[in-house]
Amino acid sequence: METLKSAFDFSDFPRLDISVAGTVAIFLLLFPILPHSAFAMATMIQFLMFSIYGMGWNTIGGYGGQVDLGKAQYVGIGAYTTAVLLIRWDIPFWFSMPLGVCFAVAWSFIIGYPLFRLKGHYFAIATIATSLVLMDLFSVWEFVGAARGLEISPIKYPSPDFWRLIFKKDIYYYYVILSFFFLGILYVNGFRKSRLGYQLRSIRDNEDMARSLGINVHWAKIKTYAIATAFVSIVGSFHACYIKNIEPEDTMSLDISILIALMAMLGGAGSLWGPIIGAAVLIPLKSYLKEWLGAAAGLAGIDLVIYAVIIMLISALEPRGIWGIVEKVRRRKRR
Amino acid sequence: MALLEVLNLTKNFGGLSANQDISFSVQKEELVGLIGPNGAGKTTLFNCISGFHPVSSGKIIFNGEDITSLNAHEIARRGLARTFQIYAASGDLTVKENVMVGCFMRTRSRGKAEARAEEILKDFNLADLGDAAVSELPVAAQKRVTMAAALGSGPKLLLLDEVAAGLTSNEIEEIMKNIRHIHIDMGITVMLIEHVMELVMKVSDRVMVLDYGRKIADGAPRMVAKDPEVIKAYLGERFVQEHKEILI
Repeated sequence: METLKSAFDFSDFPRLDISVAGTVAIFLLLFPILPHSAFAMATMIQFLMFSIYGMGWNTIGGYGGQVDLGKAQYVGIGAYTTAVLLIRWDIPFWFSMPLGVCFAVAWSFIIGYPLFRLKGHYFAIATIATSLVLMDLFSVWEFVGAARGLEISPIKYPSPDFWRLIFKKDIYYYYVILSFFFLGILYVNGFRKSRLGYQLRSIRDNEDMARSLGINVHWAKIKTYAIATAFVSIVGSFHACYIKNIEPEDTMSLDISILIALMAMLGGAGSLWGPIIGAAVLIPLKSYLKEWLGAAAGLAGIDLVIYAVIIMLISALEPRGIWGIVEKVRRRKRR
Repeated sequence: MALLEVLNLTKNFGGLSANQDISFSVQKEELVGLIGPNGAGKTTLFNCISGFHPVSSGKIIFNGEDITSLNAHEIARRGLARTFQIYAASGDLTVKENVMVGCFMRTRSRGKAEARAEEILKDFNLADLGDAAVSELPVAAQKRVTMAAALGSGPKLLLLDEVAAGLTSNEIEEIMKNIRHIHIDMGITVMLIEHVMELVMKVSDRVMVLDYGRKIADGAPRMVAKDPEVIKAYLGERFVQEHKEILI
Protein backbone atom coordinates (compact mmCIF):
# COMPACT_ATOMS: atom_id res chain seq x y z
CA MET A 1 0.00 0.00 0.00
CA GLU A 2 2.77 2.39 0.98
CA THR A 3 4.63 1.44 -2.18
CA LEU A 4 1.63 2.12 -4.37
CA LYS A 5 1.11 5.51 -2.76
CA SER A 6 4.74 6.35 -3.17
CA ALA A 7 4.59 5.53 -6.89
CA PHE A 8 1.98 8.26 -7.36
CA ASP A 9 3.72 10.69 -5.04
CA PHE A 10 5.82 13.22 -6.94
CA SER A 11 5.78 15.80 -4.15
CA ASP A 12 9.55 15.79 -3.66
CA PHE A 13 10.00 17.41 -7.08
CA PRO A 14 9.88 21.19 -7.42
CA ARG A 15 6.64 22.61 -8.80
CA LEU A 16 8.35 23.55 -12.06
CA ASP A 17 9.23 19.91 -12.76
CA ILE A 18 5.69 18.79 -12.15
CA SER A 19 4.18 21.41 -14.42
CA VAL A 20 6.68 20.66 -17.19
CA ALA A 21 6.06 16.92 -16.80
CA GLY A 22 2.29 17.52 -16.84
CA THR A 23 2.50 19.59 -20.02
CA VAL A 24 4.63 16.94 -21.70
CA ALA A 25 2.18 14.24 -20.62
CA ILE A 26 -0.74 16.16 -22.11
CA PHE A 27 1.21 16.73 -25.31
CA LEU A 28 1.99 13.01 -25.53
CA LEU A 29 -1.67 12.14 -25.01
CA LEU A 30 -2.82 14.57 -27.70
CA PHE A 31 -0.01 14.03 -30.21
CA PRO A 32 -1.87 11.58 -32.50
CA ILE A 33 -4.73 14.07 -32.83
CA LEU A 34 -2.42 16.90 -33.85
CA PRO A 35 -1.38 17.04 -37.49
CA HIS A 36 1.75 14.93 -37.97
CA SER A 37 3.66 13.01 -40.61
CA ALA A 38 4.04 9.23 -40.56
CA PHE A 39 7.74 9.80 -39.99
CA ALA A 40 7.03 11.92 -36.89
CA MET A 41 4.69 9.22 -35.57
CA ALA A 42 7.31 6.51 -36.06
CA THR A 43 9.89 8.70 -34.33
CA MET A 44 7.55 9.29 -31.38
CA ILE A 45 6.97 5.55 -30.96
CA GLN A 46 10.72 4.98 -31.07
CA PHE A 47 11.16 7.73 -28.50
CA LEU A 48 8.67 6.09 -26.13
CA MET A 49 10.21 2.65 -26.61
CA PHE A 50 13.70 3.88 -25.93
CA SER A 51 12.53 5.93 -22.94
CA ILE A 52 11.31 2.71 -21.36
CA TYR A 53 14.52 0.86 -22.23
CA GLY A 54 16.33 3.77 -20.60
CA MET A 55 14.13 3.68 -17.49
CA GLY A 56 14.96 0.02 -17.09
CA TRP A 57 18.65 0.62 -17.63
CA ASN A 58 18.50 3.47 -15.13
CA THR A 59 17.48 1.22 -12.22
CA ILE A 60 20.66 -0.85 -12.30
CA GLY A 61 22.91 1.50 -14.27
CA GLY A 62 21.82 4.83 -12.81
CA TYR A 63 20.65 4.23 -9.24
CA GLY A 64 22.93 1.23 -8.85
CA GLY A 65 25.92 2.62 -10.76
CA GLN A 66 26.54 -0.67 -12.61
CA VAL A 67 27.20 0.31 -16.21
CA ASP A 68 25.43 -2.32 -18.27
CA LEU A 69 26.19 -2.46 -21.99
CA GLY A 70 24.25 -5.62 -22.76
CA LYS A 71 20.62 -4.63 -22.52
CA ALA A 72 19.94 -5.56 -26.16
CA GLN A 73 20.04 -9.29 -25.32
CA TYR A 74 16.81 -8.79 -23.38
CA VAL A 75 15.23 -6.85 -26.22
CA GLY A 76 15.97 -9.96 -28.26
CA ILE A 77 14.58 -12.42 -25.73
CA GLY A 78 11.33 -10.46 -25.44
CA ALA A 79 10.98 -9.93 -29.18
CA TYR A 80 11.77 -13.52 -30.13
CA THR A 81 9.50 -15.02 -27.48
CA THR A 82 6.55 -13.00 -28.72
CA ALA A 83 7.29 -13.57 -32.41
CA VAL A 84 7.94 -17.31 -32.13
CA LEU A 85 4.86 -17.94 -30.01
CA LEU A 86 2.64 -15.91 -32.32
CA ILE A 87 3.94 -17.42 -35.55
CA ARG A 88 4.15 -21.05 -34.44
CA TRP A 89 1.24 -21.40 -32.05
CA ASP A 90 -0.78 -18.22 -32.50
CA ILE A 91 -0.27 -17.26 -28.87
CA PRO A 92 -1.24 -13.58 -28.43
CA PHE A 93 0.93 -10.77 -27.13
CA TRP A 94 -0.64 -10.51 -23.69
CA PHE A 95 0.42 -14.10 -22.93
CA SER A 96 3.75 -14.11 -24.71
CA MET A 97 4.86 -10.80 -23.21
CA PRO A 98 4.79 -12.01 -19.57
CA LEU A 99 6.34 -15.29 -20.70
CA GLY A 100 9.11 -13.33 -22.41
CA VAL A 101 9.68 -11.46 -19.15
CA CYS A 102 10.01 -14.82 -17.37
CA PHE A 103 12.59 -16.06 -19.88
CA ALA A 104 14.49 -12.78 -19.81
CA VAL A 105 14.53 -12.63 -16.01
CA ALA A 106 15.62 -16.26 -15.79
CA TRP A 107 18.47 -15.53 -18.21
CA SER A 108 19.34 -12.40 -16.23
CA PHE A 109 19.73 -14.50 -13.07
CA ILE A 110 21.91 -17.02 -14.86
CA ILE A 111 24.33 -14.43 -16.17
CA GLY A 112 23.84 -11.88 -13.38
CA TYR A 113 25.04 -14.26 -10.69
CA PRO A 114 28.60 -14.58 -12.04
CA LEU A 115 28.70 -11.14 -13.71
CA PHE A 116 28.06 -9.19 -10.53
CA ARG A 117 31.20 -10.69 -9.06
CA LEU A 118 32.92 -8.30 -11.46
CA LYS A 119 33.21 -4.58 -10.95
CA GLY A 120 33.32 -1.42 -13.03
CA HIS A 121 34.69 -1.79 -16.54
CA TYR A 122 35.03 -5.55 -16.21
CA PHE A 123 31.32 -5.81 -15.55
CA ALA A 124 30.51 -3.56 -18.52
CA ILE A 125 32.67 -5.63 -20.88
CA ALA A 126 31.19 -8.90 -19.64
CA THR A 127 27.66 -7.64 -20.34
CA ILE A 128 28.68 -6.80 -23.91
CA ALA A 129 30.12 -10.28 -24.31
CA THR A 130 27.04 -12.17 -23.10
CA SER A 131 24.84 -10.08 -25.36
CA LEU A 132 26.99 -10.75 -28.41
CA VAL A 133 27.13 -14.47 -27.67
CA LEU A 134 23.36 -14.62 -27.48
CA MET A 135 23.06 -12.70 -30.74
CA ASP A 136 25.39 -15.16 -32.47
CA LEU A 137 23.43 -18.10 -31.09
CA PHE A 138 20.20 -16.69 -32.46
CA SER A 139 21.89 -16.07 -35.81
CA VAL A 140 22.47 -19.80 -36.31
CA TRP A 141 19.45 -21.21 -34.52
CA GLU A 142 17.08 -22.48 -37.23
CA PHE A 143 14.09 -22.73 -34.92
CA VAL A 144 14.01 -18.93 -34.65
CA GLY A 145 14.84 -18.33 -38.29
CA ALA A 146 18.59 -18.01 -37.83
CA ALA A 147 20.08 -14.95 -39.54
CA ARG A 148 16.97 -14.43 -41.68
CA GLY A 149 14.97 -13.74 -38.57
CA LEU A 150 11.21 -13.97 -38.23
CA GLU A 151 8.39 -12.20 -39.94
CA ILE A 152 4.92 -11.65 -38.61
CA SER A 153 2.65 -11.19 -41.59
CA PRO A 154 -0.15 -8.81 -40.66
CA ILE A 155 -2.55 -9.95 -43.39
CA LYS A 156 -3.29 -13.14 -41.46
CA TYR A 157 -4.90 -11.22 -38.62
CA PRO A 158 -7.84 -8.87 -38.49
CA SER A 159 -6.83 -5.29 -37.73
CA PRO A 160 -7.08 -3.88 -35.14
CA ASP A 161 -6.27 -7.01 -33.15
CA PHE A 162 -5.72 -5.92 -29.56
CA TRP A 163 -5.25 -9.44 -28.34
CA ARG A 164 -2.30 -10.12 -30.64
CA LEU A 165 -1.29 -6.47 -30.82
CA ILE A 166 -1.41 -6.42 -34.61
CA PHE A 167 -2.54 -3.10 -36.04
CA LYS A 168 -2.41 -1.44 -39.43
CA LYS A 169 -2.40 2.05 -37.99
CA ASP A 170 0.44 3.30 -35.86
CA ILE A 171 -1.88 5.25 -33.59
CA TYR A 172 -2.85 2.05 -31.76
CA TYR A 173 0.77 1.13 -31.19
CA TYR A 174 1.35 4.66 -30.00
CA TYR A 175 -1.25 4.48 -27.25
CA VAL A 176 -0.16 1.00 -26.13
CA ILE A 177 3.45 2.05 -25.74
CA LEU A 178 2.39 5.37 -24.18
CA SER A 179 0.54 3.52 -21.43
CA PHE A 180 3.62 1.35 -20.83
CA PHE A 181 5.61 4.57 -20.68
CA PHE A 182 3.39 6.06 -17.95
CA LEU A 183 3.40 2.79 -15.99
CA GLY A 184 7.19 2.74 -16.27
CA ILE A 185 7.48 6.21 -14.80
CA LEU A 186 5.21 5.27 -11.90
CA TYR A 187 7.21 2.11 -11.25
CA VAL A 188 10.57 3.87 -11.20
CA ASN A 189 9.13 6.65 -9.06
CA GLY A 190 8.13 4.05 -6.49
CA PHE A 191 11.35 2.11 -6.90
CA ARG A 192 13.67 5.04 -6.19
CA LYS A 193 11.96 5.57 -2.84
CA SER A 194 11.72 1.90 -1.91
CA ARG A 195 14.06 0.05 0.39
CA LEU A 196 15.81 -1.53 -2.59
CA GLY A 197 16.15 1.89 -4.22
CA TYR A 198 17.90 3.33 -1.19
CA GLN A 199 20.07 0.27 -0.77
CA LEU A 200 21.14 0.48 -4.37
CA ARG A 201 22.11 4.12 -4.12
CA SER A 202 24.07 3.27 -1.00
CA ILE A 203 25.87 0.54 -2.97
CA ARG A 204 26.77 3.07 -5.66
CA ASP A 205 28.09 5.46 -3.01
CA ASN A 206 30.20 3.01 -1.07
CA GLU A 207 29.91 -0.75 -1.27
CA ASP A 208 31.71 -1.50 1.99
CA MET A 209 29.50 0.87 3.89
CA ALA A 210 26.45 -0.77 2.29
CA ARG A 211 27.63 -4.21 3.41
CA SER A 212 28.24 -2.96 6.92
CA LEU A 213 24.62 -1.81 7.01
CA GLY A 214 23.39 -5.34 6.36
CA ILE A 215 22.86 -5.06 2.61
CA ASN A 216 23.51 -8.18 0.58
CA VAL A 217 25.23 -6.24 -2.19
CA HIS A 218 25.43 -9.11 -4.67
CA TRP A 219 21.79 -10.06 -4.30
CA ALA A 220 20.55 -6.45 -4.41
CA LYS A 221 22.34 -5.99 -7.74
CA ILE A 222 20.94 -9.22 -9.17
CA LYS A 223 17.41 -8.31 -8.12
CA THR A 224 17.62 -4.86 -9.66
CA TYR A 225 19.18 -6.28 -12.81
CA ALA A 226 16.12 -8.50 -13.11
CA ILE A 227 13.84 -5.47 -12.78
CA ALA A 228 15.77 -3.65 -15.50
CA THR A 229 15.52 -6.79 -17.61
CA ALA A 230 11.75 -6.95 -17.27
CA PHE A 231 11.40 -3.37 -18.55
CA VAL A 232 13.53 -4.11 -21.59
CA SER A 233 11.89 -7.43 -22.36
CA ILE A 234 8.37 -5.97 -22.31
CA VAL A 235 9.31 -3.38 -24.89
CA GLY A 236 11.15 -6.08 -26.83
CA SER A 237 7.87 -8.00 -27.11
CA PHE A 238 6.17 -4.82 -28.25
CA HIS A 239 8.96 -4.31 -30.79
CA ALA A 240 8.16 -7.69 -32.36
CA CYS A 241 4.50 -6.81 -32.92
CA TYR A 242 5.23 -3.26 -34.02
CA ILE A 243 8.16 -3.84 -36.39
CA LYS A 244 6.88 -7.31 -37.40
CA ASN A 245 10.22 -8.26 -38.83
CA ILE A 246 12.90 -9.21 -36.35
CA GLU A 247 16.46 -10.22 -36.98
CA PRO A 248 19.26 -10.88 -34.51
CA GLU A 249 21.13 -7.83 -35.83
CA ASP A 250 18.45 -5.27 -35.21
CA THR A 251 17.28 -6.52 -31.85
CA MET A 252 20.44 -7.67 -30.12
CA SER A 253 23.32 -5.77 -31.66
CA LEU A 254 25.81 -3.77 -29.64
CA ASP A 255 24.49 -0.54 -31.20
CA ILE A 256 21.21 -0.95 -29.39
CA SER A 257 22.81 -1.74 -26.04
CA ILE A 258 25.01 1.31 -26.34
CA LEU A 259 22.17 3.54 -27.43
CA ILE A 260 20.12 2.49 -24.38
CA ALA A 261 22.95 3.21 -21.96
CA LEU A 262 23.97 6.37 -23.76
CA MET A 263 20.51 7.88 -23.62
CA ALA A 264 20.14 7.32 -19.92
CA MET A 265 23.61 8.73 -19.30
CA LEU A 266 23.08 11.74 -21.54
CA GLY A 267 19.78 12.60 -19.87
CA GLY A 268 21.00 11.87 -16.38
CA ALA A 269 21.72 8.49 -14.86
CA GLY A 270 20.14 8.01 -11.46
CA SER A 271 17.32 10.49 -11.94
CA LEU A 272 13.69 9.83 -12.80
CA TRP A 273 13.53 12.16 -15.81
CA GLY A 274 17.03 11.49 -17.13
CA PRO A 275 16.32 8.58 -19.52
CA ILE A 276 13.28 10.38 -20.95
CA ILE A 277 15.26 13.55 -21.61
CA GLY A 278 18.05 11.48 -23.13
CA ALA A 279 15.65 9.65 -25.43
CA ALA A 280 13.95 12.93 -26.39
CA VAL A 281 17.32 14.28 -27.53
CA LEU A 282 18.86 11.21 -29.11
CA ILE A 283 15.99 9.46 -30.88
CA PRO A 284 14.95 12.38 -33.11
CA LEU A 285 18.63 13.09 -33.66
CA LYS A 286 19.21 9.49 -34.68
CA SER A 287 16.18 9.37 -37.02
CA TYR A 288 17.00 12.64 -38.73
CA LEU A 289 20.69 11.92 -39.00
CA LYS A 290 19.94 8.63 -40.69
CA GLU A 291 17.28 10.13 -42.92
CA TRP A 292 19.16 13.22 -44.04
CA LEU A 293 22.85 12.82 -43.56
CA GLY A 294 23.04 9.06 -43.81
CA ALA A 295 20.84 8.34 -46.81
CA ALA A 296 20.84 11.69 -48.59
CA ALA A 297 24.44 12.81 -48.21
CA GLY A 298 25.90 9.32 -48.22
CA LEU A 299 27.37 9.71 -44.76
CA ALA A 300 26.37 6.31 -43.41
CA GLY A 301 27.57 5.81 -39.85
CA ILE A 302 27.52 9.51 -39.03
CA ASP A 303 25.19 8.76 -36.10
CA LEU A 304 27.89 6.60 -34.51
CA VAL A 305 30.38 9.45 -34.75
CA ILE A 306 27.95 11.75 -33.00
CA TYR A 307 27.31 9.20 -30.22
CA ALA A 308 31.03 8.96 -29.65
CA VAL A 309 31.30 12.73 -29.31
CA ILE A 310 28.41 12.74 -26.85
CA ILE A 311 30.01 10.01 -24.72
CA MET A 312 33.22 12.01 -24.56
CA LEU A 313 31.42 15.21 -23.66
CA ILE A 314 29.41 13.59 -20.87
CA SER A 315 32.35 11.89 -19.27
CA ALA A 316 34.50 15.01 -19.47
CA LEU A 317 32.00 17.69 -18.50
CA GLU A 318 29.12 16.35 -16.47
CA PRO A 319 28.94 12.64 -15.60
CA ARG A 320 25.38 13.12 -14.41
CA GLY A 321 24.18 14.29 -17.80
CA ILE A 322 21.68 16.97 -18.69
CA TRP A 323 19.76 16.48 -15.48
CA GLY A 324 23.00 16.91 -13.55
CA ILE A 325 23.42 20.34 -15.12
CA VAL A 326 19.85 21.31 -14.21
CA GLU A 327 20.43 20.28 -10.60
CA LYS A 328 23.72 22.16 -10.41
CA VAL A 329 22.07 25.36 -11.61
CA ARG A 330 19.30 24.90 -9.06
CA ARG A 331 21.69 24.34 -6.20
CA ARG A 332 23.59 27.48 -7.14
CA LYS A 333 20.38 29.50 -7.18
CA ARG A 334 19.38 28.29 -3.75
CA ARG A 335 22.60 29.59 -2.23
CA MET B 1 28.00 -14.58 28.96
CA ALA B 2 30.21 -12.32 26.89
CA LEU B 3 28.59 -10.50 23.97
CA LEU B 4 31.66 -10.92 21.80
CA GLU B 5 34.27 -13.58 22.19
CA VAL B 6 37.36 -13.79 20.03
CA LEU B 7 39.37 -16.99 20.33
CA ASN B 8 42.94 -17.33 19.03
CA LEU B 9 42.26 -15.19 16.01
CA THR B 10 45.06 -15.11 13.44
CA LYS B 11 45.03 -13.22 10.17
CA ASN B 12 47.86 -13.56 7.67
CA PHE B 13 48.32 -11.50 4.53
CA GLY B 14 50.78 -13.59 2.55
CA GLY B 15 53.81 -13.82 4.80
CA LEU B 16 52.72 -10.95 7.01
CA SER B 17 50.84 -11.74 10.16
CA ALA B 18 48.54 -8.81 10.85
CA ASN B 19 46.80 -10.46 13.80
CA GLN B 20 48.48 -13.22 15.77
CA ASP B 21 46.66 -15.48 18.16
CA ILE B 22 44.46 -12.74 19.62
CA SER B 23 41.91 -13.71 22.26
CA PHE B 24 39.63 -11.45 24.24
CA SER B 25 36.02 -10.96 25.14
CA VAL B 26 33.70 -8.00 25.43
CA GLN B 27 30.93 -8.04 28.03
CA LYS B 28 27.49 -6.60 27.47
CA GLU B 29 27.37 -2.79 27.92
CA GLU B 30 31.11 -2.53 28.17
CA LEU B 31 33.11 0.12 26.32
CA VAL B 32 36.46 -1.26 25.21
CA GLY B 33 39.19 0.89 23.70
CA LEU B 34 41.62 -0.64 21.24
CA ILE B 35 44.94 1.16 20.86
CA GLY B 36 48.34 0.49 19.42
CA PRO B 37 50.93 2.08 17.15
CA ASN B 38 50.25 2.41 13.41
CA GLY B 39 50.27 -0.93 11.69
CA ALA B 40 49.57 -2.86 14.87
CA GLY B 41 46.60 -4.63 13.25
CA LYS B 42 43.70 -2.80 14.88
CA THR B 43 41.67 -2.17 11.74
CA THR B 44 42.46 -5.68 10.50
CA LEU B 45 41.01 -7.02 13.73
CA PHE B 46 37.83 -5.00 13.15
CA ASN B 47 37.68 -6.20 9.55
CA CYS B 48 37.93 -9.82 10.71
CA ILE B 49 35.28 -9.45 13.40
CA SER B 50 32.83 -7.69 11.07
CA GLY B 51 33.32 -10.21 8.26
CA PHE B 52 35.17 -8.00 5.78
CA HIS B 53 38.26 -10.23 5.93
CA PRO B 54 38.11 -14.01 6.21
CA VAL B 55 40.21 -15.09 9.21
CA SER B 56 43.21 -17.40 8.76
CA SER B 57 42.41 -19.28 11.93
CA GLY B 58 40.53 -18.81 15.17
CA LYS B 59 36.93 -18.31 16.13
CA ILE B 60 34.62 -15.37 16.64
CA ILE B 61 31.50 -15.85 18.76
CA PHE B 62 28.92 -13.09 18.82
CA ASN B 63 25.88 -13.27 21.06
CA GLY B 64 26.41 -17.01 21.52
CA GLU B 65 26.67 -17.73 17.78
CA ASP B 66 29.76 -18.62 15.78
CA ILE B 67 30.03 -15.87 13.16
CA THR B 68 33.54 -16.68 11.95
CA SER B 69 32.56 -17.69 8.45
CA LEU B 70 29.60 -15.38 7.90
CA ASN B 71 29.51 -12.58 5.31
CA ALA B 72 29.71 -8.93 6.34
CA HIS B 73 26.02 -8.26 5.70
CA GLU B 74 24.96 -11.35 7.62
CA ILE B 75 27.02 -10.26 10.61
CA ALA B 76 25.56 -6.76 10.39
CA ARG B 77 22.05 -8.22 10.45
CA ARG B 78 22.87 -10.07 13.67
CA GLY B 79 23.47 -6.74 15.35
CA LEU B 80 27.17 -6.05 14.91
CA ALA B 81 27.66 -2.65 13.27
CA ARG B 82 30.84 -0.80 12.40
CA THR B 83 32.13 2.46 11.00
CA PHE B 84 35.05 3.03 8.66
CA GLN B 85 38.21 5.04 9.13
CA ILE B 86 37.81 6.71 5.76
CA TYR B 87 34.37 7.52 4.51
CA ALA B 88 34.70 7.63 0.74
CA ALA B 89 31.46 9.33 -0.22
CA SER B 90 31.36 9.57 -3.98
CA GLY B 91 27.67 9.76 -4.62
CA ASP B 92 24.77 11.91 -3.75
CA LEU B 93 23.00 10.38 -0.76
CA THR B 94 22.00 13.04 1.74
CA VAL B 95 22.73 12.79 5.45
CA LYS B 96 19.21 11.64 6.22
CA GLU B 97 19.17 9.13 3.37
CA ASN B 98 22.42 7.63 4.61
CA VAL B 99 20.95 7.06 8.05
CA MET B 100 17.76 5.73 6.46
CA VAL B 101 19.77 3.07 4.64
CA GLY B 102 20.89 1.87 8.08
CA CYS B 103 17.31 1.95 9.37
CA PHE B 104 16.09 -0.06 6.36
CA MET B 105 17.92 -3.05 7.81
CA ARG B 106 15.16 -3.40 10.39
CA THR B 107 12.14 -2.27 8.40
CA ARG B 108 10.76 -2.35 4.87
CA SER B 109 8.63 0.73 5.40
CA ARG B 110 10.06 4.00 4.15
CA GLY B 111 7.94 5.97 6.61
CA LYS B 112 9.31 4.06 9.59
CA ALA B 113 12.90 4.29 8.32
CA GLU B 114 12.55 8.03 7.83
CA ALA B 115 11.05 8.62 11.26
CA ARG B 116 13.79 6.60 12.95
CA ALA B 117 16.50 8.41 10.96
CA GLU B 118 15.14 11.79 11.99
CA GLU B 119 15.15 10.70 15.63
CA ILE B 120 18.78 9.62 15.44
CA LEU B 121 19.84 12.79 13.65
CA LYS B 122 18.21 14.85 16.36
CA ASP B 123 20.17 12.94 19.00
CA PHE B 124 23.33 13.64 17.05
CA ASN B 125 22.59 17.34 16.54
CA LEU B 126 22.59 16.73 12.82
CA ALA B 127 18.93 17.44 12.14
CA ASP B 128 19.73 20.73 10.35
CA LEU B 129 22.07 18.96 7.97
CA GLY B 130 19.55 16.27 7.02
CA ASP B 131 19.26 17.39 3.40
CA ALA B 132 22.95 18.10 2.79
CA ALA B 133 24.97 15.72 0.65
CA VAL B 134 27.41 13.84 2.87
CA SER B 135 30.31 14.55 0.52
CA GLU B 136 29.82 18.29 1.08
CA LEU B 137 30.22 18.09 4.87
CA PRO B 138 33.40 18.63 6.91
CA VAL B 139 35.16 15.44 8.03
CA ALA B 140 33.93 15.65 11.61
CA ALA B 141 30.30 15.77 10.53
CA GLN B 142 30.87 12.95 8.02
CA LYS B 143 32.19 10.73 10.77
CA ARG B 144 29.17 11.45 12.90
CA VAL B 145 26.92 10.60 9.95
CA THR B 146 28.56 7.19 9.59
CA MET B 147 28.02 6.61 13.32
CA ALA B 148 24.40 7.65 12.97
CA ALA B 149 23.91 5.32 9.97
CA ALA B 150 25.44 2.42 11.90
CA LEU B 151 23.10 3.16 14.80
CA GLY B 152 20.16 3.18 12.41
CA SER B 153 20.70 -0.54 11.93
CA GLY B 154 19.90 -1.05 15.62
CA PRO B 155 23.13 -2.79 16.70
CA LYS B 156 23.95 -4.64 19.90
CA LEU B 157 27.65 -4.01 19.41
CA LEU B 158 29.17 -1.04 17.61
CA LEU B 159 32.75 -1.00 16.36
CA LEU B 160 34.05 2.55 15.88
CA ASP B 161 37.20 2.91 13.79
CA GLU B 162 39.06 6.16 14.56
CA VAL B 163 36.07 8.42 14.72
CA ALA B 164 38.12 11.22 16.31
CA ALA B 165 41.22 11.12 14.11
CA GLY B 166 42.10 14.50 12.64
CA LEU B 167 39.44 16.44 14.50
CA THR B 168 39.82 19.66 16.53
CA SER B 169 39.42 19.52 20.30
CA ASN B 170 35.92 21.01 20.08
CA GLU B 171 34.91 18.39 17.58
CA ILE B 172 36.41 15.69 19.80
CA GLU B 173 34.27 16.95 22.68
CA GLU B 174 31.20 16.65 20.48
CA ILE B 175 32.09 13.12 19.34
CA MET B 176 32.79 12.10 22.92
CA LYS B 177 29.28 13.22 23.84
CA ASN B 178 27.90 11.13 20.98
CA ILE B 179 29.84 8.06 22.10
CA ARG B 180 28.68 8.45 25.70
CA HIS B 181 25.12 8.81 24.47
CA ILE B 182 25.40 5.61 22.46
CA HIS B 183 27.02 3.72 25.31
CA ILE B 184 25.22 5.02 28.37
CA ASP B 185 21.80 6.25 27.20
CA MET B 186 21.23 3.70 24.47
CA GLY B 187 22.98 0.89 26.32
CA ILE B 188 24.94 -0.27 23.29
CA THR B 189 28.20 -2.12 23.75
CA VAL B 190 31.03 -0.25 22.04
CA MET B 191 34.51 -1.13 20.92
CA LEU B 192 36.61 1.70 19.56
CA ILE B 193 39.95 2.13 17.83
CA GLU B 194 41.43 5.48 18.65
CA HIS B 195 44.71 7.36 18.57
CA VAL B 196 43.38 10.32 20.52
CA MET B 197 44.39 9.15 24.02
CA GLU B 198 42.44 11.86 25.75
CA LEU B 199 39.27 10.31 24.36
CA VAL B 200 40.09 6.62 24.82
CA MET B 201 41.29 7.01 28.39
CA LYS B 202 38.25 9.05 29.36
CA VAL B 203 35.47 6.94 27.89
CA SER B 204 36.78 3.37 28.01
CA ASP B 205 35.97 0.88 30.75
CA ARG B 206 38.86 -1.21 29.55
CA VAL B 207 41.68 -0.74 27.08
CA MET B 208 43.35 -3.35 24.90
CA VAL B 209 46.71 -2.75 23.27
CA LEU B 210 47.97 -4.34 20.06
CA ASP B 211 51.53 -4.24 18.80
CA TYR B 212 52.85 -6.04 15.72
CA GLY B 213 49.61 -8.00 15.54
CA ARG B 214 49.81 -9.33 19.10
CA LYS B 215 47.80 -8.35 22.12
CA ILE B 216 50.29 -6.95 24.63
CA ALA B 217 48.00 -5.51 27.31
CA ASP B 218 44.37 -5.60 28.39
CA GLY B 219 43.00 -3.85 31.47
CA ALA B 220 41.77 -0.68 33.12
CA PRO B 221 42.89 2.49 31.29
CA ARG B 222 45.10 3.63 34.20
CA MET B 223 46.88 0.31 34.44
CA VAL B 224 47.47 0.04 30.72
CA ALA B 225 48.94 3.54 30.57
CA LYS B 226 51.59 2.51 33.08
CA ASP B 227 52.38 -0.86 31.53
CA PRO B 228 56.06 -0.94 30.48
CA GLU B 229 55.21 -3.19 27.51
CA VAL B 230 52.79 -0.56 26.22
CA ILE B 231 55.22 2.30 26.70
CA LYS B 232 57.86 0.27 24.92
CA ALA B 233 55.49 -0.29 22.00
CA TYR B 234 54.80 3.39 21.65
CA LEU B 235 58.15 4.92 22.56
CA GLY B 236 60.69 2.18 21.89
CA GLU B 237 62.96 0.00 24.02
CA ARG B 238 65.64 2.64 24.38
CA PHE B 239 63.31 5.21 25.90
CA VAL B 240 62.23 2.71 28.53
CA GLN B 241 65.84 1.84 29.40
CA GLU B 242 66.90 5.47 29.67
CA HIS B 243 63.92 6.69 31.68
CA LYS B 244 63.44 3.78 34.08
CA GLU B 245 63.29 6.11 37.08
CA ILE B 246 60.35 8.18 35.76
CA LEU B 247 58.39 5.22 34.65
CA ILE B 248 58.43 3.29 37.91
